[in-house]
Amino acid sequence: MEVKINKQDDVTTIRLIGRLDTPAAQEVGKELTPLQENANGTIILDCEDLSYISSSGLRIFLSLRKAAAVKGGKVIVKNINDSIRNVFMMTGFLNLFEVE
Amino acid sequence: MTNERHLDPHCESILQEYRDNLPWFKDEAWKVYSRLKETLDKAGLLTAALEYRVKEEDSLAGKLELKGGKYQSLKDITDIIGLRVITFYTDDVDKVASAVERLFEVDWENSVDKRKALEIDSFGYLSLHYVCRIPGSEYKMEIQMRTVLQHAWANMNHDTGYKSGVEVPPRYLRNLSRLAGMLELVDDEFSRIRSELTNYRRQVKSLVASGNLDDVPLDGDTYRSFLEMNPFDALNQRIASVNQAEVHEVSLMPFLTLFKGLGCKTLGDIVNMIRDYSEGAFQIATFQIGLTDLDIVSSSIGPQDLCIAYLLKQGSGKAGIRLMFDTLNGKSESNDMIADLIMEQAKDLPFMNQ
Repeated sequence: MEVKINKQDDVTTIRLIGRLDTPAAQEVGKELTPLQENANGTIILDCEDLSYISSSGLRIFLSLRKAAAVKGGKVIVKNINDSIRNVFMMTGFLNLFEVE
Repeated sequence: MTNERHLDPHCESILQEYRDNLPWFKDEAWKVYSRLKETLDKAGLLTAALEYRVKEEDSLAGKLELKGGKYQSLKDITDIIGLRVITFYTDDVDKVASAVERLFEVDWENSVDKRKALEIDSFGYLSLHYVCRIPGSEYKMEIQMRTVLQHAWANMNHDTGYKSGVEVPPRYLRNLSRLAGMLELVDDEFSRIRSELTNYRRQVKSLVASGNLDDVPLDGDTYRSFLEMNPFDALNQRIASVNQAEVHEVSLMPFLTLFKGLGCKTLGDIVNMIRDYSEGAFQIATFQIGLTDLDIVSSSIGPQDLCIAYLLKQGSGKAGIRLMFDTLNGKSESNDMIADLIMEQAKDLPFMNQ
């Protein structure tokens, strides 16, 4: 699992590459924790190269969303494939995120 | 600047007293402001503005030059510290006044309720001014309380009437007076509407609490009260139990538009839907997450699957499911894929064949 973070002005793009399974989520969670401190801008979760998401991965998305909501920012989920969109739908989280 | 004024020694001594105590006045102004703000916040009184200031030296010098003989000492000047509370509603002015009376010692002789002072056939500056003792001292402060509209009128009147230095023709004064009358009516009307809305909400809460949900029309207020009863909790817990999942609480307000779109006119209609389609919703959820290791679901999963079950059973087909997700998530081509998937799953759901 690889994470690429690119910050431009108040937009932070997080590119997730690989499978966000439970072991990977622990590492990714640590890597993204500092972003929660500065979640007052826009956070884009670019999932173009994300092939799988587990519950732990969903929790990371939710933590970022919560931090952004508190600090007046927002989280946009982009380029999710059909199977991940299906995970969001069947857990009821699809309408919680701005999905592009 | 102040040196250009012609102040007699008495007024100069008052001015010096002001200079000596200015840091103290600034401290006290902040303290009384904070105290009042905390009290209003605790009481849930929403204000348009709450502001304070300490009188500028130049302004005080000007006052002393004009009518300095009237004051024996700085303690006789009541507005060295000034606070202003601007409310949205007229009845909130009285609530603020009541809070001020509880917090500070009001000097009733110097306080003016200009709302009462006006003649019955005239309209104008409506405001409530309290002169209060600065706590723990002999000095005084002034607290103005008025509504947004009273504030707007007072500012307009001030700009038009005094600043120009030109005498204002009577017809303009008459127009200002007419405006004051109109704003007073508008203020009263805002308060009346708020009061009626409060009563309506109370009635709705009481109907919801009494369980007469068939009599409660479905709207934003009633639906919000309904959600306080956690109507989808049982279904959500049942769904979550499939995978021993955690239920992540989210707002269910977005479902209001959907329930209305599905023809629900009363809260009773939603209750009936929960009664008739919970089993179908459970079967959908079990089919979808039962074979996964997903151990977190949103609290919107219950109402979402309930609406899917209803639409499937009503024969709304793919178009209905697509419209549902368009309503919830915004229009998107990807909702088409979701609708296709659900239609495919529906073929294997037992409740569809009953």
